[in-house]
Amino acid sequence: MTQSLFWYGCNMTRHGEIIRLSQRILEAVGVDVAPVGGPGACCGSPKESTPRIAEGMADRTMDKFAAWADGVRSAEGGGGAAAEHRSRESAAAAEPQPRIITWCPSCHMNLDDFMGQSNEQGFDSRHLCEALYEQRERLAPLLTHRVDAHFFIDRHVGFDGRVPVNTIIPELLGMIPGVTFADHAYRAPSYMCFGLASVPGALADVQRATLEAMRETGADTLITIFHSCHREMIGLERDHGIRVLNWVHLLAEAMGLAYEDEYKAWRNAPDPVAAIGAERVAAAGEVAVRKYVEPELTRPRLV
Amino acid sequence: MGAHQRMVAHEDWSALRAAETARMLAACTSCGACFDACPMIPYAPDAKAADPGQTVRGVLDVLTGGTGDAAARNWISVCTRSGSCNEACPHAVNPMLMLRLAKWRANETGAVPKRDAAETMSRVKVFARLSFTDDEQRDWL
Repeated sequence: MTQSLFWYGCNMTRHGEIIRLSQRILEAVGVDVAPVGGPGACCGSPKESTPRIAEGMADRTMDKFAAWADGVRSAEGGGGAAAEHRSRESAAAAEPQPRIITWCPSCHMNLDDFMGQSNEQGFDSRHLCEALYEQRERLAPLLTHRVDAHFFIDRHVGFDGRVPVNTIIPELLGMIPGVTFADHAYRAPSYMCFGLASVPGALADVQRATLEAMRETGADTLITIFHSCHREMIGLERDHGIRVLNWVHLLAEAMGLAYEDEYKAWRNAPDPVAAIGAERVAAAGEVAVRKYVEPELTRPRLV
Repeated sequence: MGAHQRMVAHEDWSALRAAETARMLAACTSCGACFDACPMIPYAPDAKAADPGQTVRGVLDVLTGGTGDAAARNWISVCTRSGSCNEACPHAVNPMLMLRLAKWRANETGAVPKRDAAETMSRVKVFARLSFTDDEQRDWL
């Protein structure tokens, strides 16, 4: 049983390679993790317009995490139930610390603001970038492959006050040989692009401002921090002469880890369903792919 | 960042919402600093020219089950949790949470339509079938 879970959220199922790479990078710096997410480990955010349903989903996830954390302590000889009879200080000193490593800022905020406020939280939590930053002395020597990129980061004003993603991620990427950081004062509204997509005009304005900031700095590579930003920004690669990568992709390239960003390939293909391939479409269910996947991959481009 | 073995602060989300609502009503002076700091106001046509203090009072009305005014409902609808309001608030009200809880309340009363998320999880599952191996689907979901 691993001492940490990588809680990737739900919408990350579009980006299996980011989950795999995150796991490999964490393991390379000595953090053994098991990925968990999808509908069975939901923070409730997708259903929060009906809070009672969101709460039920979130509580089930907390029950799952609590059982896992108890298992970690038992496996390591800590004894979850027995530990309750010891002082918190002595228990903390004696026991391993189960840790949830988050990816999604919605999940991270829900854990802090709701899930952990109404449930026992027998585990520590950190965002992925914090977990890697803690291990940056182990990470740096692994970044041996030069990457030629003058990168701009899609940074938002939100979430950074809770987890300083806007400073940690440039610092981590700055350890990569060959890269230069195109710093700029622009910060997009929201905490990731997801919320902007449903507000008329907002996401298009952010994409225009991002491209302008990249022109001002001479950046050739747009780095996304979160999955919804990646989902919205990769379409810019087709028409605007830039490369769009997630920050985990860039670390992986520097470590020599191979990957394929299939979602980007599908989104920017003339026929996304054909790009997925008939065999995989059939395996996933063609009716479902046509109904749920194709409209997303062919949605209009905003700029 | 989470803390190990944190005490449970509230019995459930209803209790949390009630406690936070009471705290916000007591702390907020409707000064409007949160409204002025919000980067989403340009995308809220009913709120753009509204009085900041009056709009905040509208949000507090929605938070307690009222319908608020058009400006308040529009502001609630376009909130994307930028958090600029929290930095601007001189009374530590946590306006970002205030707007979020107001949206929940408005969704329940019908003052603001619910976001259609009916297909969200179906989409998540189909993408998992496309992107994950069989073993990953078994182990990760």
